[in-house]
Amino acid sequence: MSIANSTVPVTVLTGFLGSGKTTLLNRILSENHGKRIAVIENEFGEIGVDNDLVIGAEEEIFEMNNGCICCTVRGDLIRILGNLMKRRDKFDHIMIETTGMADPGPVAQTFFMDDELREAMSLDGVVTLVDAKHVMLHIEDSDEVKEQIAFADVILLNKVDLVSSADLDQLEARIHSMNSAAKIYRTRDAVVDMDKVLNLGGFDLDRALEVDPKFLEPEYPFEWSGLFELEAGDYRLVLKPGPDPAMNLNFRSASAASEAAMRDTVEKAVLVFSDDEVALQTGAVIEPGEQLSQIDLEGDELVYTLRVPAAGSYVLFTEHHPDEFEAFVTDAQGKRLDALFTREYKPDHEHDEEVTSVGISTPGDLDLEKFQGWLRDLLANQGPDIFRMKGVLSFRGAKERYVFQGVHMLFDGRMDRPWREGERANSLIFIGRNLDREALNAGFNACLT
Amino acid sequence: MLDIDLSMLNKGLLAESWYVALGDYIIDLAWAPKASKLAAVTVEGSVFLIEDHGGAATFKLLGEHAAGANSLSWRGDGAEFATAGQDGLVKVWHGTSGEQICTIEAGDPWVAKVAYNPRRNVLATAAGRHLKLWNDQHKVFYESSDHASTIADLGWNPVAPGIAVAAYNGITLHMPGTEKEPRKYQWKGSSLVLAWSPEAKYIATGEQDSTVHFWNVKSGEDAQMWGFPTKVLELSWDSSGRWLATGGASTICLWDCGGKGPAGRKPKQYEAHLNKLTQLAFQPDGKLLASADADSFLFLWEPFKHEKIVAGISLSSSASCLRWSKGSQLAVGQRDGNVVLFRTNGRAR
Repeated sequence: MSIANSTVPVTVLTGFLGSGKTTLLNRILSENHGKRIAVIENEFGEIGVDNDLVIGAEEEIFEMNNGCICCTVRGDLIRILGNLMKRRDKFDHIMIETTGMADPGPVAQTFFMDDELREAMSLDGVVTLVDAKHVMLHIEDSDEVKEQIAFADVILLNKVDLVSSADLDQLEARIHSMNSAAKIYRTRDAVVDMDKVLNLGGFDLDRALEVDPKFLEPEYPFEWSGLFELEAGDYRLVLKPGPDPAMNLNFRSASAASEAAMRDTVEKAVLVFSDDEVALQTGAVIEPGEQLSQIDLEGDELVYTLRVPAAGSYVLFTEHHPDEFEAFVTDAQGKRLDALFTREYKPDHEHDEEVTSVGISTPGDLDLEKFQGWLRDLLANQGPDIFRMKGVLSFRGAKERYVFQGVHMLFDGRMDRPWREGERANSLIFIGRNLDREALNAGFNACLT
Repeated sequence: MLDIDLSMLNKGLLAESWYVALGDYIIDLAWAPKASKLAAVTVEGSVFLIEDHGGAATFKLLGEHAAGANSLSWRGDGAEFATAGQDGLVKVWHGTSGEQICTIEAGDPWVAKVAYNPRRNVLATAAGRHLKLWNDQHKVFYESSDHASTIADLGWNPVAPGIAVAAYNGITLHMPGTEKEPRKYQWKGSSLVLAWSPEAKYIATGEQDSTVHFWNVKSGEDAQMWGFPTKVLELSWDSSGRWLATGGASTICLWDCGGKGPAGRKPKQYEAHLNKLTQLAFQPDGKLLASADADSFLFLWEPFKHEKIVAGISLSSSASCLRWSKGSQLAVGQRDGNVVLFRTNGRAR
C-alpha cells in the first residue's frame, strides 16, 4: 500500500445500524473543508451534498485464491473504485460506509489484493462508530462488533449523553483491551473534529504506534499488590470464601516504603508466579521470600499468618483482587492495617475467544530470513485470527526503518526513512483472537540476531 | 524510458490521420458497421458521435448518462447504437442523426455492458446480476439473474446462437430461443473479461486472481494459465482463432490454441513495453497486433514474423480503447479524452 501523495485516501466507516454512521457522514460532507468526497454506501441512508458523489452498492464478497493465499475481498468495491479511479483527479477523498453487520476484513483486504487499487489508493483509516448505550448488549457475543472494534484505527464512542460516566469508563476499558492501538473518542451526535477521522495516514506508523504505554506492559499473573510497613511479628491475612477455591500469592520484602520500591519487586514476583506453588491450608504460616503460596479458600474462617522477621517494608502480591474475598491484613491484636501503596494490574486474559492486542517492543536487530520464516508460518497458521498488525522493525544491516502492516494473511511492508539516533528498536502490534502473547514474544525474539 | 528509438522505425506504417479532444476518459469506443463513423462514451457519462472525413473528423455531443457511462454497442446494420450507464439506463441513439430513440430501464443502477448480437437485431444488457435480451421493438424477451455477482462482461457467440456472461464463479452460457438450460463453466474466482475465439471453439477469460482460462465450449474443459503479475483485462484473438494475445503484465503472451489446445504449451513472449499493458488488439482482418501501455506508448507488431515491434508512437496519454476498423485504420481512445485515428498503410494484410 503506497502512501505516496498521488494516492487517494480512503476511509472506511463501520458500525451497527443506529450507531450514527449516517450522521457522521453527513457531518463530514457538509463540513466546509473544500474537498470533493466520493461516498460508497452499502446501507441506504439520507446523505449527499451537491458537490459530492454518492454511489449505492450491494456488498459482494468474493473468495480469492492467489497462490497460497486465500482470502475474501469485496467485488463491489473493486468494480466501483476501479471506475472512480478513472475520474480520480476530481476526488480528494473516498468514504466507504459498510452495512452494520459487515466484516471489515474483506474491505481492508481488497486494498491488498487488487493491484490497481493498491497503486492508486491508500486506506487512510477504519473508523468504527459504537453506540455507547447499546453496544454492551452485543460486545460479548457478537463477532461483528468485535471485528469492527478490532479493525478500527479510530473508535467513536457515540451517544455518550445516554450513558453514565462509570459505564462509559468501563466500556472504554473493555474496548481498549480489545484494540489497544485504536484512538477512542467520546462523542455526542457524532460531533468530532474532522482531523480525528480524516487523513489519519492510517499507515503512518509513527502515529499507529503512539499507543497507550500501558498497552506495551506485559500481562501480569497477579491482579493486585500492596506495600505494608510492618514491625517484626506475626500478622494475619483474613479472607472470606470467594469466586475461586484457591489463590496464589507471594509475600516478599521491599527496599523502602515507596511506590518505586514496590515497583522494583514486580519483576521478581512475576518470576515467582511462574514457579510451582506450595499448597497451604488455613492457619498456615507464610514467610517473606521466593515462595509461591497457594492458599486454600474453602471454608468459613480463612486466616493465614504472615510472619515478619524484622521491621521493614513488605509487599503482598495476590492472584485475584483482595476485594473478591473481602481480604484484609491485621496485626496480632486484630487491628486492621491498610497498605501504604496499592496497585492493580491488568489481568492476564485467558479467555480463548477473546479479541485482544499483543504489543511487542524490543531493542535489537532482526535477521531478515528468520523473521520472514517466522511470519510466514505465523500467518499461515493463525492468519484467520489475526485481524490487523502493524509495526516498525529494525533489520540487521539496514539503515532505514522497515514499516509494515497486514490484514489476516496479507502482509505489506517497505523500507521507510532512515533511523534517527537512539531510535532504533522494534515495535509491533497484533490485534486478533486467540493470540498467545508468550508465543508471539518468544517467536519474535528468536528472530533477533 | 524506452530503449528503442522509435524514429528508426517505419513511420509510414503508423500515420496519425486526425484526432479529436472529447475532454474526458474514453471508457468505450466503437466503429459503426460499414461506415466511417465512431461512437464514444466517457467515464463521466458523455455520449459522442464522431464522423471520419478522411484527413479530419468532426464530433457531436449527443447526450449523457447522469452517473457515468460504462459501455456502448452498435447494431449490426449501423442504424442505431446503445449506451449503458451507472444511472440504471440503457439509451438507444439513431446511428445517423444521433437523436436519442429511447431509454430502457435495465433493472439495476450499474449497467456494465450492452452488446448487440452482430447477426440479429437483438440487444443484450447486463445490469447488476440481470441479463436481459431486447427485441427490435426494445421489449424484453429473455431474462436471467442466475449469476453470482454483478455481471462484468458479455459476449455473443460469433457463429451460433448463445451469449456468454462473465461474473463471479465463472461463465454462464445462455441459449435464448432454445429449450436448453444455461450452461455453467465454473471457476472459483471472479471472471472480469471474456473473449470468444472467432470460430467459437474457446471462450477465454481474464480473472481477478491473475489467471487466464481457456474454456473448451463443447467439452467444458478448462485450461488455466497462471503466473501473471496482475489481473488480466487484455485479451485478443487473432483472426484465425489459433492465437490469443494476453496482457496482465508488460510482456505480451501469445497462446497457441491450434490442435490440442493451449494446455501444456509455453506462450510466445513479446517484450518492448516497460510498463503494464492497458490494451491489446489484433487486426480483425490482418496480422498486425496493436498494444498500448501505462507509459502512453502504442506499438504495432507483426507477431507471426518476428518478435520486434514494427512501429511505435508516444501518445498524449495512455490508451483506454484500441479499435481496428475493417480495413487497416486503428482508432485509439485515451485517458485524457483524445480519440486519435491512425492509418496503418495496409501492410501485412
